[in-house]
Amino acid sequence: MDELAFGASAPLTVGVELELQLVRPHDFDLARDADELLRRLGKRKLPGAVKPEITESMVELNSSVHASAATLVDELETVRDAVLQDARVLNVRIAGGGSHPFHDWADRRIYPTERFMHVVERYGYLAKQFTVFGQHIHIGCASGDDAVFLAHVLTRYVPHFIALSAASPFYQGEDTSFQSSRLTAVSAFPLAGHIPFVRDWAEFLEYFMRMKGFGIVASMKDFYWDIRPKPEYGTIEIRVCDTPLTVRRAALLAAYAQALAAWHLEERPLEPSRTTYLVNSHNRFEACRYGLRGTMVDPYASRKTAIGEDILATMAKIAPHAARLGCGALVHELAAGVRAGDSDAAWLRARHAARGSLADVVREACTRWEKTG
Amino acid sequence: MATEYLPRLPLAFSQAALFGALVIVGLAAGEALRRYASLPRITGYVLAGAALGPHALGLISDDMLFDLRPLVDLSVGLIVFELGFRLDFKWLRANRWLLVTAIGEALFSFLGIFAVMVAFDFRPVLAAMAAAVGTATSPGTVLLVAHDLRAQGQITERLLLFTAVNSAFAYVLLTLLLPFLHFEHQASWQQAFFHPLYLLWGSLVAGWLACILMLRLAAWLGKSEERQFILMVGMVVVTVGIAHALKLSVSLALLTLGMLARNLDRGYAVLPVHFGHGSQLFFVILFVLVGASLSFSAFSAAAAAPVAALILVRFLGKGVALLGFGPLSGIRPGGAGLLALGLLPLSGSAVVMVRDTTLLYPAFGRELAAVVLSAVVILELIGPLATQFALRRAREAHPDG
Repeated sequence: MDELAFGASAPLTVGVELELQLVRPHDFDLARDADELLRRLGKRKLPGAVKPEITESMVELNSSVHASAATLVDELETVRDAVLQDARVLNVRIAGGGSHPFHDWADRRIYPTERFMHVVERYGYLAKQFTVFGQHIHIGCASGDDAVFLAHVLTRYVPHFIALSAASPFYQGEDTSFQSSRLTAVSAFPLAGHIPFVRDWAEFLEYFMRMKGFGIVASMKDFYWDIRPKPEYGTIEIRVCDTPLTVRRAALLAAYAQALAAWHLEERPLEPSRTTYLVNSHNRFEACRYGLRGTMVDPYASRKTAIGEDILATMAKIAPHAARLGCGALVHELAAGVRAGDSDAAWLRARHAARGSLADVVREACTRWEKTG
Repeated sequence: MATEYLPRLPLAFSQAALFGALVIVGLAAGEALRRYASLPRITGYVLAGAALGPHALGLISDDMLFDLRPLVDLSVGLIVFELGFRLDFKWLRANRWLLVTAIGEALFSFLGIFAVMVAFDFRPVLAAMAAAVGTATSPGTVLLVAHDLRAQGQITERLLLFTAVNSAFAYVLLTLLLPFLHFEHQASWQQAFFHPLYLLWGSLVAGWLACILMLRLAAWLGKSEERQFILMVGMVVVTVGIAHALKLSVSLALLTLGMLARNLDRGYAVLPVHFGHGSQLFFVILFVLVGASLSFSAFSAAAAAPVAALILVRFLGKGVALLGFGPLSGIRPGGAGLLALGLLPLSGSAVVMVRDTTLLYPAFGRELAAVVLSAVVILELIGPLATQFALRRAREAHPDG
């Protein structure tokens, strides 16, 4: 039970995890040097941490905990540069983006930790296909009850986060026609989806213990939900974002999440509603498929709206909270991008159209990741 | 009754039939060794060649070997081109210790072999040429074993890089040693001066010109893997032919072509093409022919000591440099030793090198061959095993590879 004791953290603090692609420069396919890279990085003193992920072609960059997403930008740039420095020695390049455009999943090799070996043993090819790259945003919660509340109300905004971060238009060498194809790889897992409609932390624990009693799960990590409480950190974790092409955009997304959570926790404009889960699959699909141009059903107003417009309207509402948290400028920057119709997925497609091959797309994504801004 | 429609005995087989038969026999032998003894396929190709060759069953005669030389050149050309294409100047710039390690590894093994050969009373020219040839790791063996095991990772990448650097080192050094060879044979100073100059610059310029043409054509053809694959094979074949016609070094010209195609391609016109199945065909035929030309008769009790010493100092030279500089270039602990093992193969390209450089003085060629080729026989057999062991031990071989 101890792992489920909700370790309350300072409310509305923010931190991110970014899964990154390791790329080999001779053909821009995925490399498998996570182990060597981590061994080198282990000798450095860095804020946060860099960790292994399910296959040897990825590493996960964890930020430290921040009171405002504004200070996240500098830290992520520092860590990014340190990773790049060590990667250069190994002739490995790093890229953001939710998927590698053309790698063959069968070529991937599992990072040999006990947990990952268990995942492969259990899930077979799903584990190797899980070589997709996401950003997770953690928001600090004062209690488990707040975490459950936020998980329910933030589900309304899942399409926002998908559309804002979408950066996986290519998969297995093909244009998927989706803006984010990554989530499809996640949805294949039997425990993907969303938290059940529980009222509070006590009820959640009851649910968890039943699932554990059935032998379906062993720990919270077994749930691959879009939004999931993380009692160990005392946070709620938004897991639907693709890793963006720059660390700056990762910080912008964190700023939006932070201000959104602040608005909901402090003003409580919405109460959890089952209707959210009725429309969730539709909204999620629209966001994956069409991005900002998709339409979503607002479960509270019971009407359809364009995802991009809904984002802009929401940003206007949360502006005072963003300003108070010191990340108003970041949310503004994100809004300007939405107005201009920018997205990482569109950028990747434009590079493909201009250069003609997916290897070129990966190379340019690497170059973009290396640059500040 | 007229029987003109029947063939006459003995049957006259075409080159094509011979080629096909050798490929199939080599392939089967490689697969058998792989399956039943877990040995590298390449060892099977070599053994098949040795068994069929003039020194054993005699199904491949010396004449046939001579006729099939263009195939050997072509195969070596494709291999060194692919190797050159893997040599990334950017990596060497970003990681200076890597360059130091690569050059140190080549230099130490050269000096080691040279010293040992002189100690065994070989003439300095002969000792130096043998040392230069001995410095190079066999590009074909390393590429083939890495490909066969589907190896991937730092040790594999460095193995290929060091092989490219020590091959380039060997080719250039052999050329620079030519004046001494000429002096030994009382050639004119013009010949001693201009021959290496012609050979070195000629090969580099040929490779460079071919590269420029290839980059232009690749840009014009566009990003189609199929078309670019054909372009690359075509360019390699024609460059081999031109280098041959101009009496240049095929290996140096092709290594230059590969290296420059990778590193001069500012506009990223060339796609990263893997030769894949196409090059496998050439790998098989090359190593069958290498096996057939192995001269076991080169062995003699008298040669055993210098050859054993050559193999040992070559390994030690590589090992010392790798252990000394390797860690500074970011090789993981234990990786340097594995790399020294992986770099052990010496083979087909050495045969070609010996032949190419001593065309003018066949007597000297035979002398050099006697020293080098016995080492080749031994390393041809244990080299692939060493490379396979190193890549497996480094955990870079694919579990199913």
